[in-house]
Amino acid sequence: MNTGTIVLFLLIFAGFNYFIKHRKIYAVYRVNRKKQSNKMTLPKYFGYVASMWSLIPALLVLLVIEIIDEPLLKSNITNYVHAENIEIGQDLDLYLNDIKNIKTDNIKDVDPIKLKVHEHYQNFETLISKAKTIIVISLAVLMTIFGFKKVTINTPARVYFEKVIEIILLLAATIAILTTVGIVLSVLFESLRFFGEVPILDFMFGTEWSPQTAIRSDQVGSSAAFGAVPLFVGTMLISAVALFVSVPLGLMSAIFLSEYASSKFRSFAKPVLEILAGIPTVVYGFFAALTVAPFIRELGTSMGLSVASESALAAGVVMGIMIIPFVSSLADDVISAVPNAMREGSLGLGATKSETIIKVLIPAALPGIVGGVLLAASRAIGETMIVVMAAGLAANLTVNPLEAVTTVTVQIVTLLTGDQEFDSAKTLAAFALGLMLFVTTLILNVIALHVVRKYREQYD
Amino acid sequence: MWSENTENSMISKISNTEKVKKSLKSRYLKEKIFKFVGLSSIFVAFFFLLILLSDVMMKAFPAFIQTKVELELDLSEENTGVSAKSDIKEIKDVDYRKIIREALSAEFPEVKKRAEKKTMFSIISTGAEFQLRDMIVDNPQLIGSKQKIELVADDNFDALAKGQIDLTGEQKRFDDLTINLYKELDEKGKVNKSFNWQFFKTGDSREPEQAGIKGAVIGSLYTILVTLLLSFPVAVAAAIYLEEFAPKNRFIDFIEININNLAAVPSIVFGLLGLAVFINFFSLPRSAPLVGGIVLSLMTLPTIIIAARSAIKAVPPSLREAALGLGASKMQTVFHHVFPAALPGILTGTIIGMAQALGETAPLLMIGMVAFIVDIPQAITDPATVLPVQVFLWSDSPERGFLEKTSAAILILILFLIAMNALAIYLRKKFEKKW
Amino acid sequence: MIDTQITKKPKTIAEIHAEHKKTVGQPFCKDAKFSTRNVDVFYGDKQAIFDVSLDVGKHEVVALIGPSGCGKSTYLRCLNRMNDTIDICRVTGQLMLDGEDIYKKSQDPVLLRARVGMVFQKPNPFPKSIYDNVAYGPRIHGLTTNKAELDEVVELSLTRAGLFDEVKDRLHEPGTGLSGGQQQRLCIARTIAVQPEVILMDEPASALDPIATAKIEELIHELKENYTIVIVTHSMQQAARVSQRTAYFHLGKLIEVGDTNQVFTNPAHELTEKYITGRFG
Repeated sequence: MNTGTIVLFLLIFAGFNYFIKHRKIYAVYRVNRKKQSNKMTLPKYFGYVASMWSLIPALLVLLVIEIIDEPLLKSNITNYVHAENIEIGQDLDLYLNDIKNIKTDNIKDVDPIKLKVHEHYQNFETLISKAKTIIVISLAVLMTIFGFKKVTINTPARVYFEKVIEIILLLAATIAILTTVGIVLSVLFESLRFFGEVPILDFMFGTEWSPQTAIRSDQVGSSAAFGAVPLFVGTMLISAVALFVSVPLGLMSAIFLSEYASSKFRSFAKPVLEILAGIPTVVYGFFAALTVAPFIRELGTSMGLSVASESALAAGVVMGIMIIPFVSSLADDVISAVPNAMREGSLGLGATKSETIIKVLIPAALPGIVGGVLLAASRAIGETMIVVMAAGLAANLTVNPLEAVTTVTVQIVTLLTGDQEFDSAKTLAAFALGLMLFVTTLILNVIALHVVRKYREQYD
Repeated sequence: MWSENTENSMISKISNTEKVKKSLKSRYLKEKIFKFVGLSSIFVAFFFLLILLSDVMMKAFPAFIQTKVELELDLSEENTGVSAKSDIKEIKDVDYRKIIREALSAEFPEVKKRAEKKTMFSIISTGAEFQLRDMIVDNPQLIGSKQKIELVADDNFDALAKGQIDLTGEQKRFDDLTINLYKELDEKGKVNKSFNWQFFKTGDSREPEQAGIKGAVIGSLYTILVTLLLSFPVAVAAAIYLEEFAPKNRFIDFIEININNLAAVPSIVFGLLGLAVFINFFSLPRSAPLVGGIVLSLMTLPTIIIAARSAIKAVPPSLREAALGLGASKMQTVFHHVFPAALPGILTGTIIGMAQALGETAPLLMIGMVAFIVDIPQAITDPATVLPVQVFLWSDSPERGFLEKTSAAILILILFLIAMNALAIYLRKKFEKKW
Repeated sequence: MIDTQITKKPKTIAEIHAEHKKTVGQPFCKDAKFSTRNVDVFYGDKQAIFDVSLDVGKHEVVALIGPSGCGKSTYLRCLNRMNDTIDICRVTGQLMLDGEDIYKKSQDPVLLRARVGMVFQKPNPFPKSIYDNVAYGPRIHGLTTNKAELDEVVELSLTRAGLFDEVKDRLHEPGTGLSGGQQQRLCIARTIAVQPEVILMDEPASALDPIATAKIEELIHELKENYTIVIVTHSMQQAARVSQRTAYFHLGKLIEVGDTNQVFTNPAHELTEKYITGRFG
């Protein structure tokens, strides 16, 4: 039986248990309702609790089996392969994949050794599947009977039911933690493997990045090839250009919208800015690569400058435009949070609006604005599609925005797209870069969120 | 200048007023400049939006037009070897490429050289033979006579017909033969342009003139469906717990910090998570909408949770008190009263989250949705691609025919996003309550 | 019989208010600094001030009293056009400062506010140092030419506000670190640093404790030597202590104006009397 069928069976058990429990309790309930003046728990709750007994333990066991069965299969085949002394001659994961995907209808094309392993694989898989069905279904039957006996008219059914629901809600909330843990473990685990091959210091401080050369067997793990400094510098260069565009424009837009614009203009301009925020990044990437980059290149040529066709400037400017609405809405929030008394105090002394804004509002809102800029920086550093499409692959160590640079995210995408073995230093390097990216943005976010929260509390 | 003496004070006051008056001119100039800078920064943003959209639209427009060449095809029984009553399988096996090539040779008898013939054959799309085959399988009565049939042109010929190639000047990259053939066909009125339905009916292809977005649209729909089914219930449950049930303790604070941070984690990191956990550890299929949906739902969860929490927070306490006062349990209060009242806000947040997921590309590249897939996916475990990834793939292709396809795909993606956002705005307006 | 009962029944406050047309007492004076005639103020469609005419004499302290929501603050904010900052607010009628219409087109609100300073209900020091708070006005208006002059103005303003001795050692610490009463005196110092001709005070002591209030009142006493002061207060005792004339507002109408002593001891209008004697408030 496959998992879907098992779940269907479980649901049938649960429905059955609900139905009979509900009927039974309802009979009592109808009599009691007339006699007793005090309120009684509705029969449906007894039904719910009974059906939970059938459903939840069996589902949990099923889940555990589903999680362990893949690793179990894998280790079983690996053991088998080793025991039979079979030469696999390639990456283990790929080999296992081959074994699984053998189609039995055209046996003649298949390597007989592989076929033998495939047979073993199938036998073991059938065994697991059978064991799964028997364990889960029998557990469900047992629990159905147990639950039916356990739930009586004296059970505080509603309280039990609500407790279970509350636990389910809590589990949903903890998914956020699980996600973070998953991210940390997945990037950390692979990164550690990478740092086993390439010393961490060479990665962090090396100035040469050329992962492609590492494919050659004599160069695997060559420290010269995995120096990430050019990527860090490239990322910072493009982010700096983006912030240089987005911070002044976003801040000034926010100031104009919140302090000068009529409500009519505001109700028009805000949604338009939101459109800018809602455009997918891949569209910005397309725009940057095909429209802005050639434009900047031509402009540079006409001024006698040599501009790379994938210049950091083009990617940065477009990224900056993309972040404008983000900066603007954050700035709008923090400026609006400055109490009106500040504005009136300054205006009452005869200050003009711009004097009030520059000398009172912005200094008062400064912590919030700084927090917003940090969040924007974190966005710029983590932005992927624009740079993948508009920035280059060449890892030049330069701070000249007219030249082509590459970034951390570009390299992650380049290293991980296409088919390659999962264990190579090249793919592992992508996870090491991912770790750097995650840690950097995490630090920026934590500081920024903290600063912004403290700022809010100050005026609450 | 300051004096307690009233008379002096009067003088200094007048001079003060004079001083203020003197400063006014430059101060008002600064005021004007400042205001102008503010207004212009908004217009810079508007200007870019306008340029971006009009650029995409202008580039996209030709993609909706398809160039077809009318050829007289010899579909006689002798030439095809089958009759209208033949078995479908036999009709399918007819060498249609030969028929098309013969028709071209008949159209241009003057083309004799091998190399020239090759060029001539390439004005018709390589997909035309399949188009012809399907057409005849559907209408077997066409067999038996000569038929004038419009066949899809090759992308280069298409660009020529759309006037996208600069024919003057020294840099023309087109051989004279193709240009002459085009001119000849055009004069005979055999080059026709019609609306490109094919673009909406097919999947990806290596040939620009045959490439369509149906595969990507279906892939996107499956992915978003998975995302919605996973993220909505979980996000609502989490938001309800955090707003209504959570005690004040460190664990809950930790959850909240996690949610706020996850909202700002770069999307590509979620792709790494998906690759390492779902594909490598759980061995879920690569390139499948299932994994894409799981990754995107983890990514959009924080957004929806945050929106749902503020919607729940906006429900006035009086409603809760009213229900609790009647003896409803906390759980009943939440599910009977608070949740329905907060639902419009939660839905708005969900739609915005889904729009974000629909436009997301980077994490899907990590889990292999970037593969070249011709078939239209039939299930959430089939290999598929999605609209934004299709945009990325096409924009990377060197053929110029893909440029307009890319823009057209962007246009369709943006249309979907506009529709979703319009729905969100409609919901917000319709159910907006002032408590 | 029913009729007689109705006529005998005393009028309600709302009825008296509705019937009231003309301000009682002496709203006008000869040597007026401010003279306002037939002022109406609207917030959108809602009228907040009805036909108020009132003069404020030179070097006079005028107190505006009345129950909350009566429009006294709104009227005060007309006098230096602070109402301009509210989009939907519209002011009609004639408001003159030294015989010049302050709502005329050519009138510059910035210049007007430099001449007519304002102190607000809640102390609102800027999040800057004490020194920078006081120096803010002189700096933006360009009143001083060098640092020494500015220092002098700051010191003198703080001295006049009775704050200098308390803060002279920490001039460069944030103004927000002061106590509530000190903050309000800082705001007054900030206002007089611009050397306005008139100071408007909108319930300046309502957020303060009695000791701080006493200090502020003392300060008002000293300031009236040099300035014209209009003060809004909800405390009748305070009005009695600091002002020469008192104007009583009720639901947007100016009911009675007169010598403070007379208004408090022998009010001419029924509503004023009811308010003074605490029948409502």
